[in-house]
Amino acid sequence: MKLSRLFMILSLAFVVVAAGCSNNEESSEKSDAENKKAEAPSNEEGLTIAVESNFTSMDPHDTNDNQSYSAQSAIYEGLLGFDEDLNIVPVLAEEYEANEDSTVFTFTLKEGITFHDGTPFNAEAVKANIDRLADPESQLRRSSLFELVEKTEVTGEYEVEVTLKEPFGAMPNNFAHPAAAMISPKAIESSDEIARNPVGTGPFQFTEWKSGDHLTVEKYEGYREEGVPKVDRVEFKPVPESGSRVAMLQTGEADFVFPVAPNQVETLKDEAGVSVVNKPSLVVKYFSMNTMKEPFNDPKVRKALNYAIDKEAYVNVIYDGYASVTKSEIAPDTQHYAEQEIYKYDPEKAKELLTEAGYPDGFETTIWGGTSSLKQKMMQFYKQQLSQVGITLNVVPMEGGTLGDKIWGVDNPDNAELELYNGGWSPSTADADWGLRPLFSSKSFPPEAYNTAYYENEKVDELLQKGLSTADDKKRGEYYAEAQQIIWDDAPWVFLAVPDLIYAEQEYVDGLTMLPSGVMDLKQAEIVSE
Amino acid sequence: MLKYSIKRILGMIPLLFVISVIAFLFVHLIPGDPARLIAGTDATIEEIKNIREKYGLDEPLYQQYVDYMANLFQGDLGTSIVSARPVMDMLAERFVPTLSLTFASMFWALLFGLLIGVISAVKRNKWQDHLTMFLAVSGVSIPSFWLGLMLIQLFSVQLGWFPTGGIGGIESYILPSLTLGAGVAAIIARFTRSSLMDVLKEDYIRTGRAKGLAEFKVINRHALRNAMIPVVTMSGLQFGFLLSGSIITETIFSWPGLGRLLINSITARDYPVIQAEILLFSLEFLLINLLVDLLYGFLNPKIRYEEGS
Repeated sequence: MKLSRLFMILSLAFVVVAAGCSNNEESSEKSDAENKKAEAPSNEEGLTIAVESNFTSMDPHDTNDNQSYSAQSAIYEGLLGFDEDLNIVPVLAEEYEANEDSTVFTFTLKEGITFHDGTPFNAEAVKANIDRLADPESQLRRSSLFELVEKTEVTGEYEVEVTLKEPFGAMPNNFAHPAAAMISPKAIESSDEIARNPVGTGPFQFTEWKSGDHLTVEKYEGYREEGVPKVDRVEFKPVPESGSRVAMLQTGEADFVFPVAPNQVETLKDEAGVSVVNKPSLVVKYFSMNTMKEPFNDPKVRKALNYAIDKEAYVNVIYDGYASVTKSEIAPDTQHYAEQEIYKYDPEKAKELLTEAGYPDGFETTIWGGTSSLKQKMMQFYKQQLSQVGITLNVVPMEGGTLGDKIWGVDNPDNAELELYNGGWSPSTADADWGLRPLFSSKSFPPEAYNTAYYENEKVDELLQKGLSTADDKKRGEYYAEAQQIIWDDAPWVFLAVPDLIYAEQEYVDGLTMLPSGVMDLKQAEIVSE
Repeated sequence: MLKYSIKRILGMIPLLFVISVIAFLFVHLIPGDPARLIAGTDATIEEIKNIREKYGLDEPLYQQYVDYMANLFQGDLGTSIVSARPVMDMLAERFVPTLSLTFASMFWALLFGLLIGVISAVKRNKWQDHLTMFLAVSGVSIPSFWLGLMLIQLFSVQLGWFPTGGIGGIESYILPSLTLGAGVAAIIARFTRSSLMDVLKEDYIRTGRAKGLAEFKVINRHALRNAMIPVVTMSGLQFGFLLSGSIITETIFSWPGLGRLLINSITARDYPVIQAEILLFSLEFLLINLLVDLLYGFLNPKIRYEEGS
């Protein structure tokens, strides 16, 4: 009796749902017939941006992922910033200068700017921010960017002087880093968490954040530049599945999608009204060889491996062509990049070098790397390539935490089991120092930093140190160029590729730019209706 | 029955305590340093040390355990290492989307599962049986990531009927709940079929038919009710699984639920969040089991809960 009633209720509900669906059907068929392209939203509706993962925090000083920086860059600004080509440009600062040995930085600030909560932006506000970042007690994730700061002094209402404990030539890059954004001093003092209640000076102010669902910002009416921002509202949606992101673009639910998986570019290129953009990122893909271990302590072996891998094929197989073969240890958009000569694919030469090094029949070795399908594909590719020159490669994919323990849990380099490591690096400050020092300085062995090749070269150490000790860009360029060349010749890595950033947008979206670092700039974003 | 329920609920407390100990140990046994994972790919060792200090990860394990239990007894589930927010807030935020999706999925699952199960049992070995069982086997074997993406392609991209993902009005529930409910419907259908077939062989069914009852009445009034006990048990279990959030379905449909929170916190080794989720899921299962046991009494009044029965 009761069951038949249950059935009746269920069937009734089904009919209701079905009816609801058929209503939807009619209305959407109409819009389907009208145009295949997605309709442009109005400025009031604003833009919808689909991104890969959840935002972690809206406190820039305590953030270390590019995706959170993207949303933050709509809300906050720093004293300095990066333009689209990663040149350093003044933002909240009118101008800045450094002394000869790059220990004192003086900023003159723009006047008449207010934070979203009405607090004026002035030298006191800057001091509050830099003090917060430089205070080791605050335990912020990005405090290391300012750990060298000795003191920050207010020298006028719109003038600040920052003194460092020791020379640091790349300091302007740290000031331009998205983590060095200026937060309203009132918000810093208040008990509300900045992470969930961001207040900055940027073109948009924070509206709402529902974790895992959306984060919304709206136009800041008091923004200092006339006519900016050009849309009233931007909504970010975390959409972890790449196929779903692409579908959102196809249905018009999203106006801008990042990232797009290389194998989905073709699908989107056929889509009316959608454009796909790719440009080089700051990421360099490599696999490192433990130079303290046989046989990789012999540079000939390391070079042989470089010759044994067809980098062009790598780009096509792994990235469907959306990458370029790397010509240095750092990507072209990184400051002080110096191009080197590629180890051209030459298996014969690789075999010769192996014979010279005493391995005419090759050897067996093991590579460690992540478990994502892309990373496993990479390692299988190396395996196939190296087998052509007689090297047997064992591929050991490991889940991220385990891999981290195996590599960075080792305190004494002599105990390292690591032979080869499939890695990638992107310097968040876009400077050669952070692109080289953590990876090639002898002070950067795990667990300290990321020199997984255990590479040690006195000359390189010296050059990296010199580069830090001056603010003179010309001299720094020379030091880093020489360092890049020495490392390239020593070949502690197999140098592979610089993958592209790929994003897709509706054709009516204009002015939304993506920095090579993977951080979006929404300031000039607009909806262009025909 | 009330007495029985209260006793069962009180009995859960020591059980949850044991679970919390196991959860703590298991979570800390997984290799991987949360501070390193959370600090990001280009963090300096100072940043990593900062995080370790801030969240007490540098303290000895027993100390961490004492802190965790002390907080737990005060009803404090701790603070997430990734988002620095109270774990309780995060769970609360994610629970409702998962709960509502679970109800929607169970709706489809029961509707189709029972319908298909009954049809195939009654029409045993006829074409209706073969067709419906083919559907049921497909339901179990089609991976949800494939089904989900296909549904998006067909109903969102091609036809434009439903949104591709995210939580919103009722239309946003249709595709994820169908994806999630398909597998459960198939399981329920198979249980209903076999259980009903067993019951249909019973003497009292033959008696019912012999005294001239309409076939519909025989099945609906006499057979189905008795066949429901294993089906209810299975549905309860499935309900529990769905309540833990589906990692795949929630990922494909960008659903802000517990499954996505769990997978994110596992990858980041966000200990407090993983521990709290394990506790929550255990509690859910305990409560559902109780509910299922109570339902037995409705289905078969011969089942009694008082002691000595």
